[in-house]
Amino acid sequence: MDLALIAQHLVNGAMLGVIYALVAVGFTLFFGVLDVIKFSHGDVVMLGAFTALATSAGLVGSGSALPPAIVLAAMFIAAVGGMAVFGALMAKFLVLPLRKAPTLNVLLITLMAGTVIREAVRLFYPQGSNPKPFPRLLPTGAWEIGEFTLRYDSTILLVTGVVAIVLVHLVITRTRLGLAIRAVAQDPETASAMGIPFHGTVLATFAIGSALAALAGVVNGLYYSEVSFNMGLLLGAIGFSAAVIGGLGNVYGAILGGFIFAALQTIGAVLLPIASAYKDVFAFAAVILLMAWKPGGLLAERSADRV
Amino acid sequence: MSQELLVASALSVRFGGVRALDGLDIRVHEGEVLGVIGPNGSGKTTFFNAVTGFVTTAGGSVTLGGETITGLVPREIARRGIARTFQRLRLLLELSVFDNLMLGQHLSLDHGIVANLLLRGRLRASMTSHIESARHLLSYFSATLPGKLFEPVSALTMIDRRRVEVCRALIREPRLLLLDEPSAGMTPEETAELMRDLQKVKAERSRLAVILIEHDMDVIESVSDRCAVFDYGRKLCEGSYAEVSSDPAVRRAYLGVDDE
Amino acid sequence: MASLPNGLPIVSDRRASPLPALGALVAGAAAVLGLLLAEQQWEVATLAIVGALALLIGGKLGWGEVIHRSATDHHRWITPVAWLTAALVIFGLREHNFELLMLCTVMLYMVAGLGLTVQFGYTGVVNFAAAAFMGVGAYTAAVLLLHTGLPHVLVILAGGLVSAVIGSVLLLPLLRTRGHYAALITIAFGILFRTFLEVNDTLGGPQGLKVPGMEWFGLVFNDAIEIDDETEWSFYLRYAGLCLVLLFFAYHFVRRLERSWLGLSLDAVRLDETAASAFGLNGAAWKIVAFSIGNFLAGMAGAVYAMVTAFIAPASFTFGDSLILVSIVILGGLGNPLGLLPAALIVVVLPEKLQVIQEYRFLLFAALVIAILLVRPGGLIPRRARDYFPGAGGR
Repeated sequence: MDLALIAQHLVNGAMLGVIYALVAVGFTLFFGVLDVIKFSHGDVVMLGAFTALATSAGLVGSGSALPPAIVLAAMFIAAVGGMAVFGALMAKFLVLPLRKAPTLNVLLITLMAGTVIREAVRLFYPQGSNPKPFPRLLPTGAWEIGEFTLRYDSTILLVTGVVAIVLVHLVITRTRLGLAIRAVAQDPETASAMGIPFHGTVLATFAIGSALAALAGVVNGLYYSEVSFNMGLLLGAIGFSAAVIGGLGNVYGAILGGFIFAALQTIGAVLLPIASAYKDVFAFAAVILLMAWKPGGLLAERSADRV
Repeated sequence: MSQELLVASALSVRFGGVRALDGLDIRVHEGEVLGVIGPNGSGKTTFFNAVTGFVTTAGGSVTLGGETITGLVPREIARRGIARTFQRLRLLLELSVFDNLMLGQHLSLDHGIVANLLLRGRLRASMTSHIESARHLLSYFSATLPGKLFEPVSALTMIDRRRVEVCRALIREPRLLLLDEPSAGMTPEETAELMRDLQKVKAERSRLAVILIEHDMDVIESVSDRCAVFDYGRKLCEGSYAEVSSDPAVRRAYLGVDDE
Repeated sequence: MASLPNGLPIVSDRRASPLPALGALVAGAAAVLGLLLAEQQWEVATLAIVGALALLIGGKLGWGEVIHRSATDHHRWITPVAWLTAALVIFGLREHNFELLMLCTVMLYMVAGLGLTVQFGYTGVVNFAAAAFMGVGAYTAAVLLLHTGLPHVLVILAGGLVSAVIGSVLLLPLLRTRGHYAALITIAFGILFRTFLEVNDTLGGPQGLKVPGMEWFGLVFNDAIEIDDETEWSFYLRYAGLCLVLLFFAYHFVRRLERSWLGLSLDAVRLDETAASAFGLNGAAWKIVAFSIGNFLAGMAGAVYAMVTAFIAPASFTFGDSLILVSIVILGGLGNPLGLLPAALIVVVLPEKLQVIQEYRFLLFAALVIAILLVRPGGLIPRRARDYFPGAGGR
């Protein structure tokens, strides 16, 4: 195998890793503050992508010949802002009311919320049941480095994703909100006693996580130039896997997990050239083995059952 | 002197760099009640956890009736006749008093498929006798508790829950009973009552040995034959209550210090 | 409960009337028949509203308690009558192909749901791959039916057995993990299994396999049942009978399991494995038992499912289907085998019946489940305290 091909796989893997990491960070944040798994998260990714799609359709359809950069910016703002609000609303009306209920109920209710989102997009988005082309708004050129081509759009998306991840890191570690999130994650009762508004922090966390999901959806759409109403199910499962591999509740673990899953898929595709269809089988089998080896995730906090 | 039952020698437990137990020597004889006192963090509960197999020991050994039990898993240690309670009650709250007591009987119950699923008549008969013995044991501790046998534990008061936990540990007639601060969350009167009731059971089981972790000095004085004082994972001193309470080192380390 | 001075319970304060239990039985049978036979939009809607109202009003007035007391006091004959009623309902549908097929699906989902009940209702071992384990059973049955002459009853058992054995591959990681981490392992397995089936040509790939019908002592299940020139009964009648027999054994197996020392041990593992180990309980062993029993039941359900539908494909055993099974178990009331019936009806039949508003049925169904979870977090029929011998003194 020549170097150019390896480089190509690397870029592709990194792209997947960024998308998975963005989704996984949401899972891990929600788990951190509320100890819940929000299974509709994958569908929020999808809804974010469709929000962006609708925005671009609306802008282009209105006839005004806006430059792509403006359209793109509008798409990002609509998707990220819209999903942030949507995520906070879901937390307020679906997740928080079930705080005292068994965790399985939360899982189920968010699962059903995911179904509602998915079905709503399928039914109410024009021809929503078919895969929709996603506008190619990024510059199409590429750098040629020997045999290896590095497309501008991939580079931009990669950089965007990495910047978003760095931003999350800064928010968590450097801001008052981040401090509140960490405090609530550590111990909700003590945090409340210290004057940290529990509900507000939870809503903000869900807003951040959902905004990241929207970003992942838009990046995914721009990268593959196609979105469909059911893309969220697998993305959600992969994002959840990534968060768990890394160690639930640990943001860096989620990022690491995202890249590991992408690496597994890529390795699966490369190592099994004849049957690259088995790449997901390989990736998920590896996840199971990984869990057998590190039951609490790679970056797990040591937590023995106290007697 | 009666026979030695539990012998812990040079027992050590480490949590990271912290020595939670540091070369501890404890001996308990059959029929004896040993009171364990010491400030918070002095290793009392860790000692219980080390004896029952909930933490791994870093050194030393524990023997029960001459047999080494160091390194065994909790269920194997339970099989050899040690039962315990937990400082923060660990009852199965959703389940009934009876179910909780039967968990204490776990090792004596027949878990065969045939016995449980097909021979229902025999199961019923054995259950009836278990119900009777459960009521009998509860009646030592409370007049009303036997009537609440099929109520969920979550519906009971704090003292009743304590009683159920003590009964759960007693029901399989262990050789050694470990009581981890049974007075936590109860009034001094309730504690005194619980101890009196426990004495009634003990009076009928002459070989039953008890180790009791307790903060309340009055409780220690009233029920224990001997006391051991823990400090920083070591045994500061050991002897009768009178000896221990007059020991200058104890007075400095423990009685002088705020005991919570 | 009152007790005599010697501590023995006063066995019966007074036996309850059997009427509430019988009433509930008749209402239940009528609801099942009504739901299955309703053709008009308004009929289904009326039934759904009446059902919801009954649940709401009954909940307020404590009907559940009354029915429960009545059923327990007379369980010796109420239970057989209930099964007889179920058989009668099936017989009543003898000329309705589609309805019988749906009822078969409901019963088989209930059998798989019973497996899940043992796994996470009692033991707390999560399983988000129940449909995959049904799939293992179904594919096992298909392969055995196509390539061997194994008696078909044994094929069903083999489906369960292979499913339990394949499940044991997950045991090592499952025993080392807890909660959401364990959930991931089963989710990963479910997705893996489906993807594997899709890319594996020997098992038919995405197109799946055709499955021969059941035969039992010369009785060919797929033959039409002609009564006379005018009447023909659906061949699904035999399959519905088979499903009912399977459900009967699975139900009583799980019931007796719960009402025994075994059930107590499983509950203890779920509620506090650490504390239970202090009394000699081996948590890992019980989890292995529960996980295997659950997968065995799911596998048998899958094997029969393959024969009933005569055709299986990876698309029938997706992660989504596993979630549907989990929904059934939680919706019915986690740990209560009885709750599986209304839950399976709502989850399996309601969407089919709301075809008139076809497109929106999944949307409505999902919204309905959300509403039930918000209003009744314990499920439709919450689990009751263990009653080792119903009707006996120990209550």
